[in-house]
Amino acid sequence: MNKSIQQQLNILDYGLHSLWQKKGRNFCVFLIFSGVIFLLASFQFMSASLTRTAELLLVTVPDITVQQLSAGRQVPLSAKSLGKLDTVFGISSIRPRIWGYYFDESNGANYTVIGSSAPATDDLLDSLLIAGSYPQAGEQGAVVLGSAVLDNLGLGDRKSFSLFRPDLTQVALHRVGVFQQSINLLTADLMLMSLEDARDLFAMGHDEFTDLLVQVANPTEIPTIASKIADAIPGSRVVTAEQIRKTYEAVFSFRSGFGAACLLASLAAFVILAFDKGLGFSREDQQEVGILKMLGWQTGDIMRLRFYESLATAACAFGLGISLAWAHILFFDGGLFRSVFLGWSVLRPTFDIVPYIQGRDILLLFAFSALPYLAATIIPAWRASIVRADSVV
Amino acid sequence: MRPSTILLSFLSFIILLNALLCLVNYKQLGTLKQNLPAQQLLTNTYGLSDLALSTEARYTRHPSLSDPMAPYMDHPGSIEHFPSGSFVLPTIGGSRKDHE
Repeated sequence: MNKSIQQQLNILDYGLHSLWQKKGRNFCVFLIFSGVIFLLASFQFMSASLTRTAELLLVTVPDITVQQLSAGRQVPLSAKSLGKLDTVFGISSIRPRIWGYYFDESNGANYTVIGSSAPATDDLLDSLLIAGSYPQAGEQGAVVLGSAVLDNLGLGDRKSFSLFRPDLTQVALHRVGVFQQSINLLTADLMLMSLEDARDLFAMGHDEFTDLLVQVANPTEIPTIASKIADAIPGSRVVTAEQIRKTYEAVFSFRSGFGAACLLASLAAFVILAFDKGLGFSREDQQEVGILKMLGWQTGDIMRLRFYESLATAACAFGLGISLAWAHILFFDGGLFRSVFLGWSVLRPTFDIVPYIQGRDILLLFAFSALPYLAATIIPAWRASIVRADSVV
Repeated sequence: MRPSTILLSFLSFIILLNALLCLVNYKQLGTLKQNLPAQQLLTNTYGLSDLALSTEARYTRHPSLSDPMAPYMDHPGSIEHFPSGSFVLPTIGGSRKDHE
């Protein structure tokens, strides 16, 4: 073996041996460091996976969604507003929709109700249902339920059930289909019904909608048409597909919330601990350096020795932390963070998160965890290496 | 055995473990992409704009279509208090300025 490599291996061996001599303390540092990296990596992997899943699933959202605001709150749109869009050229289709939330007082759960007149006679769409079909035109009270809604309503094999209008009179409904559990990320809390049934449930006027879903013939014209729609319907909120995508690019990012801030704070605390540990240079350590210097070791060799010790700790902790985080997302669907997402939700849907890990995520984590640790141990290593042999031995 | 050999063995084990995780991950991605066209059609047909991750508040269930001020409008002086709110950023877009 090359003499230089052999020399480095010998220094590494010596460093690992001295780590082993204080195994209790070093093992604690290793475990804490692995834990911090595990938390950071789990957060990053989960954020990246959700962002990527949203990108894949939401790529086909309608080009423009139009809502009406009044006094800063969303209010229904009327058929009159729909008529105002006749003058906007470039729109290929407009689909009115009713989108709302039904609060189930019996158990405190919130369901998302979507009323749509969209015709759904597509084999591809039917493949998303466990059984049954979508509400057909003219079929009264037909509902497709998300799997979490079905469980929460406790319907079992029953098909008929009823919900309450705002005046507490009952609306009779029957389920005609149930969405598969595998698409819970989109449909877990969904109740899909016809426009008329949704209007009846929310006691809305016969010509009222909550949103208009607009498709544009030429995608390059979407911003222009969005602007024209905003002019045509005063007080409207016009959200483009691009804005929805941008929301999901940013919503789970590292900048989001104090979740990341807390994790970075824990990393900072660990780096301070590592720095402090290095500075806590005992009499015994000083004597060891003194003896090494008397045996002919140079300052550079001792710095290299300390660097190898830190590098070995960082590499092992980083590898272990990343592997555990990956397994956490892959096999347990981010169980530790799921409770934060679900929060106080009564409806607790199960969903599969598929990790989408890229090289840049690993590099980012390395830069945020292992590099600060290595940097924090440089100054203590230098201080240890400049000790004069005759002053300590 | 030399300590450096033990270290390199441990690191090799970690690399092997990650390679296995990568294989399982790749298989799961394949399953996700299997019915992707159907899910994308559903998204387009019914205008499903958000992921059903959290159902505790309307602005965390539908962050992309919620009012930007929604977290603070429950009562005067209200602050954001839902746990899932710690994960999400405020809504982007929807105002007239965004289209200009």
